[in-house]
Amino acid sequence: MFFYYLDLAWRSIKKTPLLSLLMVLAISIGIGITITSLNIYQMANINPAGERSSQLYEVRLMSQGLDSWDEINPQITYQDSFNLRKSSIATRQSPMFRTGMAVQTDDDNFVPILEGARVADSDFFGLFSVEFLYGNSWGKQVDIDPAYQVVIREDLNKEVFGGENSVGRTIYLNQKPYQIVGVIKYWNPSPKYYDVNNGAFNDAERMFVPFSLAPIEEFESWGNNQSWKREDIVTYADRLASETHWNQYWVELNTPEQVKEYRLWLSNYIEQQKLIGRFEMPEAKADLSDVATWLKVNNVVPEDNKVLVGLSVLFLIVCLVNMLGLLLAKFLKRAPEVGVRRAIGASRAQIFAQHMVEVGVIGFFGGVIGLLWAWGSLSILSAHFKLEEALTQLGMSMWVLAPGVAIASALIAGLYPAWRICSTNPSVHLKSQ
Amino acid sequence: MLSMKSISKVFKTDLVETHALRDFNLEVKEGEFVAVTGPSGSGKTTFLNIAGLLEGFTHGDYFLDGVNISNLSDNKSAAIRNEKIGFIFQGFNLIPDLNLAENVEVPLRYRGFNAAERKRRVQHALEQVGLAARMKHLPSQLSGGQQQRVAIARALAGEPRFLLADEPTGNLDSMMARQVMELLEEINKAGTTIIMVTHDPELARRAQRNIQIVDGQVCDFTMYQGGAEKPHLVSDTESPSDGQQAQTEQVAG
Repeated sequence: MFFYYLDLAWRSIKKTPLLSLLMVLAISIGIGITITSLNIYQMANINPAGERSSQLYEVRLMSQGLDSWDEINPQITYQDSFNLRKSSIATRQSPMFRTGMAVQTDDDNFVPILEGARVADSDFFGLFSVEFLYGNSWGKQVDIDPAYQVVIREDLNKEVFGGENSVGRTIYLNQKPYQIVGVIKYWNPSPKYYDVNNGAFNDAERMFVPFSLAPIEEFESWGNNQSWKREDIVTYADRLASETHWNQYWVELNTPEQVKEYRLWLSNYIEQQKLIGRFEMPEAKADLSDVATWLKVNNVVPEDNKVLVGLSVLFLIVCLVNMLGLLLAKFLKRAPEVGVRRAIGASRAQIFAQHMVEVGVIGFFGGVIGLLWAWGSLSILSAHFKLEEALTQLGMSMWVLAPGVAIASALIAGLYPAWRICSTNPSVHLKSQ
Repeated sequence: MLSMKSISKVFKTDLVETHALRDFNLEVKEGEFVAVTGPSGSGKTTFLNIAGLLEGFTHGDYFLDGVNISNLSDNKSAAIRNEKIGFIFQGFNLIPDLNLAENVEVPLRYRGFNAAERKRRVQHALEQVGLAARMKHLPSQLSGGQQQRVAIARALAGEPRFLLADEPTGNLDSMMARQVMELLEEINKAGTTIIMVTHDPELARRAQRNIQIVDGQVCDFTMYQGGAEKPHLVSDTESPSDGQQAQTEQVAG
């Protein structure tokens, strides 16, 4: 009977094209707005670390002195980074910060580009499961004995070397020759959870250089810096020795025992630092946040987004109420035909099902057009309001969710009209035809 | 086949109670052709709606084919309407968007027949009424008489044991009406029980039995015994007065 009802629904839609179009438009606009806000919310809410989310921890330290803020800092100092590297408890660990360099090659025709880069240890790639296309990371030894080596991303490799295996070739960063040791596959997690301090939805870097090179090459910080203390920072060495928070530090801890052990190590570290006059606050502590907690702590998904989703759902309800009125008018006009169908053997349930299928078809079309609205509005948001691209890509799940929500919403709106039409007394209309 | 005992039907609003049927008793045997006459507002259509399970009743007992109709669920009522009862209406009541074959097919869809069986029955029913060649036409492309024949084909397609016709010739000219009546007589001869409401005394005379409803009650009836003489009707000589309309009582307060 379902296909019979589908056929009847299609005939009914064709019979009243304007009314049907109005209903499809009503639901499509509601769905379009809901899907737009839901998409932004969902894209902002993705945990890009996936199943490793609970094994990766951002380390935070309350290293500030008295008479400063009493919140734990989102970043740590270089000297803490340097010290934390001495622990051997974590499976993998890496300090890091964002910098930028001018990129040149031996090719005279290559126009130099200014490119963001991440300064990190060799464990960075294993920590965040970054896959290599060619080569590998620099060796562990380079984390101790600095070497001019670099890992670049697939798309930069294509721009600079036409996509060929460039491992072993030289690239000039800030006019210094660096040997390419690895080319990673395209990797651009969104949100950029390993460094949400510097634009959670900014693109990931396309170059990675050893952290051990920082004191030598004096890499500038291209990220946020926070400091609680007035310090005269003149040289790069001053900066490295300062209390400025500008590094991020991630560790991989695979078991609860490992987490416990690392926490204890951090507590001991704080006590040790107190002895030399740092970590002055009595409540000085360390904190480990896994990826999900880290995204929450940093308010990567602002509360406003939730309010926006709520408002758009309210708007969808308004659209559905309009649709309900139109459906009621359309269905009740058909009462005489329903009377005939009831007289010749249709049960109330069959009449109800017939009309619900029609509502479902309208909902489906509303969902498809709503998707187009959502796609259009996301494109406009991306093009004219400079919303990050990561947030304005229509997620794959929305292609299923939009028609699904549209059909479900339409069915809810259609319940009352379908019930009304199947409850009418058929004999009233048989004589009046 | 059909047995109604002390059936009453009261329509209530906030202000009035209307007794459409009161202490209504009737027995119809299998294969009978019964004509129901009576003045406007006497309760003929209410009787037909109750007989056809389109409306419930306030009091009494109704047995159709031995089944007590009093407390049937909607699904069961619909199934009985679909399998045992065929309806023919004064206004034909064809679905205007469906062609003739699709109109005739509607009750078969609800019966759950497969496509081949539906096709066979539609073909047969339309052949019975002489319209098989026009099965792809829309109702609006047919004359009134032809539309009524399609309605009869629709009623026959499910091979019901019981046909209820409400003024089947009311919207037709005399020639068309005669053709439709002849068709109904043929159907009855084939074994289908027919109850026909009509205002036309001439058509009523052609039925085997006449029932007159006055004030919601069976007033009198005459059994046609199959002889040469047609039944004598009380209504032929004693037309009901205006005062014999179904009574409407004012509810106190």
